Amino acid sequence: MTVATRLANAGDLASLRQKILAGRKSTKIAISVCAGTGCRAQGSMELFEEFQRELQEQNLTDVEVRATGCHGFCEQGPLVVIFPRKIFYRGVKVKDVPRIVEKTIRNNEVVDSLLFKDPATKKKCLLENEVPFYAKQQRIVFRNNGKIDPTQIDDYIAADGYAALAKVLTKMSAEQVIEQVSQAGLRGRGGGGFPTGRKWDICRAQPGDEKYVICNGDEGDPGAFMDRSIMEGDPNSVLEGMTIGAYAIGASRAYIYVRAEYPLAVTNLSIALEQSRSLGLLGENILGSDFSFDVEIVRGAGAFVCGEETALIASVQGDIGSPQQRPPYPAQAGLWGKPTNINNVETWANVPVIIDKGSKWFAGMGTEHSKGTKVFSLVGKVLNTGLVEVPMGTTLREIVYDIGGGIPKKRKFKAVQTGGPSGGCIPESLLDLPVDFEKLTEAGGMMGSGGLIVMDERTCMVDVAKYFLAFLVDESCGKCSPCREGVMQMHSILCRIVQGEGREGDIELLEQLAAYVKESSLCQLGGTAPNPVLSTLRHFRNEYEAHIKDKKCPAGVCTALVEFEVDEELCKGCGLCMRDCPTEAVIGEKKQPHKIDVELCIKCGVCYEDCPFDAVIAK
Amino acid sequence: MARMGVFICWCGANIAETVDCEAVASYAGALPGVTIARSYKYMCSDPGQRLITDAIQEHKLSGVVVASCSPRMHEPTFRMAAASVGLNPYMLEMANIREHCSWVHTNRREATEKAKDLVRILVEKVKRNQPLQEIEVPVTQRVMVIGAGIAGIQAALDVAAAGYEVALVERQPSIGGHMAMLDETFPTLDCSQCILTPRMVEIMQSKNITLHSYSEVEQVDGYVGNFKVKVRHKARSIDMSKCTGCGDCWKYCLARNKISEPSGPAAPEESPAEVAEKVDTLLEKYTDRAGMVIGLLQDVQNEFNYLPQDTLVYLSVKSKIPLSRLYAVARFYNGFSLEPRGKYIIRVCLGTACHLRGGGRIADAVVRELGIEHGETTADKLFTLERVNCLGTCALAPVITVNDKYHGKMTVGKMMKVLEECAREKPEQVGVEEAQIV
Ligand SMILES: Cc1cc2nc3c(=O)[nH]c(=O)nc-3n(C[C@H](O)[C@H](O)[C@H](O)COP(=O)(O)O)c2cc1C
Ligand code: SF4
Ligand code: SF4
Ligand code: FES
Repeated sequence: MTVATRLANAGDLASLRQKILAGRKSTKIAISVCAGTGCRAQGSMELFEEFQRELQEQNLTDVEVRATGCHGFCEQGPLVVIFPRKIFYRGVKVKDVPRIVEKTIRNNEVVDSLLFKDPATKKKCLLENEVPFYAKQQRIVFRNNGKIDPTQIDDYIAADGYAALAKVLTKMSAEQVIEQVSQAGLRGRGGGGFPTGRKWDICRAQPGDEKYVICNGDEGDPGAFMDRSIMEGDPNSVLEGMTIGAYAIGASRAYIYVRAEYPLAVTNLSIALEQSRSLGLLGENILGSDFSFDVEIVRGAGAFVCGEETALIASVQGDIGSPQQRPPYPAQAGLWGKPTNINNVETWANVPVIIDKGSKWFAGMGTEHSKGTKVFSLVGKVLNTGLVEVPMGTTLREIVYDIGGGIPKKRKFKAVQTGGPSGGCIPESLLDLPVDFEKLTEAGGMMGSGGLIVMDERTCMVDVAKYFLAFLVDESCGKCSPCREGVMQMHSILCRIVQGEGREGDIELLEQLAAYVKESSLCQLGGTAPNPVLSTLRHFRNEYEAHIKDKKCPAGVCTALVEFEVDEELCKGCGLCMRDCPTEAVIGEKKQPHKIDVELCIKCGVCYEDCPFDAVIAK
Repeated sequence: MARMGVFICWCGANIAETVDCEAVASYAGALPGVTIARSYKYMCSDPGQRLITDAIQEHKLSGVVVASCSPRMHEPTFRMAAASVGLNPYMLEMANIREHCSWVHTNRREATEKAKDLVRILVEKVKRNQPLQEIEVPVTQRVMVIGAGIAGIQAALDVAAAGYEVALVERQPSIGGHMAMLDETFPTLDCSQCILTPRMVEIMQSKNITLHSYSEVEQVDGYVGNFKVKVRHKARSIDMSKCTGCGDCWKYCLARNKISEPSGPAAPEESPAEVAEKVDTLLEKYTDRAGMVIGLLQDVQNEFNYLPQDTLVYLSVKSKIPLSRLYAVARFYNGFSLEPRGKYIIRVCLGTACHLRGGGRIADAVVRELGIEHGETTADKLFTLERVNCLGTCALAPVITVNDKYHGKMTVGKMMKVLEECAREKPEQVGVEEAQIV
């Protein structure tokens, strides 16, 4: 940090920005190491320290080492970018450090083996945006992620951070802010897709001086991690968005509710809070205006239902997170009974750019009713897993194949699951669907928080439905009986089916129960709980029938219904399966076709997954 | 072999308008064990009853189901009719297809299906019925109510008000039960103390009620109308005739605070003074802040590795947050543990991305290897296994964490290595004495 004196007005902010920028030569060599959780898991912090050590040792004090937020391509981590050329290295290990310093830092040469190789063209990519994973992306929410050091507010300010806030405080009325957000067509990224401007307006219109703003960082959808990435990698953008929102609504206090499993997000947000407070970007009389506002972090404690807004409010109040009947909506009576506006992390992060670049610019991206971009977490059975940000209306095919690189091991695509436990599965025939709020819902899926989970031919859709219901049985708060009992009954029917004990009429029974649960649950957890079953029934009914009538699992997943066998033609005798089999059920000599002893086999499926030649088949 | 008769009543249009009674009759006729099934406009009318009695005689029926209105209405009518021709009246039952079906549904097809279900269920029931005989026994006009929660209290008061003697038995030193621990009641959020406490007082005032608190039922003999119950009064070392209930002795009572609290392990290493000191320090951060419970419990758990019972009791006394609320929160959120946890907490992600890429197999492997289930801790207190629904690093699925360290792209083989490594670090990581024990 250069200075920690309070900024008295917008002019101070601008000159601070000038000062920071002047101190940074664009030709300076900098090594930026991704310090998102994904890369950390693969050892990026050790890498960071090693770079520091090596540079020190070689007396290259001029070179800066920077730890940034997530780049999104976690699959290939740890990621390192060398500035000013922006050379993009992937899968960097500690042992590569001396080589990078020697070749790239000292001699401006490229270490070829660390570049990304496009599996399709076999071409090496020098820069990040040459990598096909990034080529089709448009990074608005992720504008800073991977570029700035999230623990340095200077970095954010240098990247035009807080300019939008300054503009709002000096030039715009609350109504104008709401107007601009409404015209941009921004809709909630937390799942429901409610127009953000309208939400703010409702809350603003409520009587009373005491109002609250909440940022929903609970991110409960398993398989989605974009909110985490934003909170960790660009916490100030969320704070700036919240401050603007609070100004528009007339709130002076806010809470960020962060999921229990995200300690790094808490750390980085706390640092950002402290730094922005000391600059007077939070607190009393922000930038010399008469607007005062502060934010507090609340840690969740592990309950999916706390993502639901009324449950979240209860949790912030220190109660168990059980949802309340709506109305009254939080906008009317929320936290401590006062009008409260809740938005999702990604929604908040969009706000500063909209103010900065205008509603026309934002509304220029996307489809008729869904504007801007959406961050998806592309995971599951897809080659390039990670976070991708694309304009609304991009087709699933582009996301899965162009960006995601298709399905590993040349297997067949089966479906993509969207919207988490409330969402649904979209089959191959709908791959050309342009994704936006409406289109996904029509297809039986849901935008949700943006998890895109790709499934291949070895995914059993009955098992997937059962998986989600098990999740929901676990996470139901138990307050209302349709959800507590109904979902459990549906789950037990599915358990029966995958055990090979499915009966005639089970499908109809599931449909009937689904209708009851949907209609009569108190909150949307129960209200959407049957979706995974309904959407798989809609598109993959034949798989259910195969389980019930023929007692077969076509995908070879449901252990009670399969038997594993080695195809002698395909087996190369590599022995991988033998190594991992927990019961030593695989027998065979090296380089000879192996065999599975059916008596010993516990059907754990390790061999089925392991075999590089797909020689283990499920019968 | 059962010989059943089924009689479907139209109740004029009351039932027939919504339920296809003919269809139900022919469905019933085909059920196993059913000899005859008829529908008729008013089964309760004389000709209707005659239809039943004739059929009983003609077909030598062993049981009868009448599908019509509520048994509240006509069960005696039909049973009397059955008895008049020699069928044991308890071999006749009613299926309520009016209040439970035609009156509450509008869709004729669905209502008809439901009526069929109801009839089928009753047919199966009657097949299992046994003929019963009515006898008379003398009744001792005294009542014992066991358990003085709100239900027991109310029952005792009602019976006493009707003029009978009541013996009310309660295991705890105080009556009131669970309701005394609640703040509000579902679903109206009424104040539970306002409901409970006046009734507790009434119990003591009622001349007809003898209260046996801190007492336990040991043995129950006899039969309806003539029970013999043995109740053990637990030792209380108090002369009840002299006690004024001033409560001064409570301060010194060693058993106090132990009785109605949930049981759980106490902090293993800390003395009560140390617990108090640590909790006090943690509490300082939270002065005057509403909604502090979750953060506070998280801090306590970070300090003690789990939530020991004695710390919660102390915390409750000190912070004036009801113990029941602390326990409610601790039990609701997955992030809290009321049991001691191991040195290494292994979290296996079973989120969607990890599930698809074999997270379940990793979890199974840990279960197999360590011999513990999810949420359990190994006997040597080295490992705890927990299941999470997404660790937020889905791109590296399947993912696990060991304490705070992430491991991505796991395989069963890699998992075994991680466990081995942890086990190897054991001696230096765990204190010396502990290392010798294991
Ligand atoms: C069961 C359930 C879980 C939810 N989980 C989340 C979540 O993890 N994150 C989130 O932002 N919204 C979640 N929501 C949606 C929120 O209730 C709320 O609509 C959202 O935070 C509003 O913000 P937005 O308008 O910016 O989307 C959940 C809703 C339900 C019913
Ligand atoms: S629908 Fe489920 S989660 Fe929602 S209130 Fe009812 S029981 Fe709780
Ligand atoms: S892994 Fe496949 S190829 Fe290798 S030995 Fe097993 S079945 Fe044969
Ligand atoms: S699903 Fe396992 S980390 Fe997200």
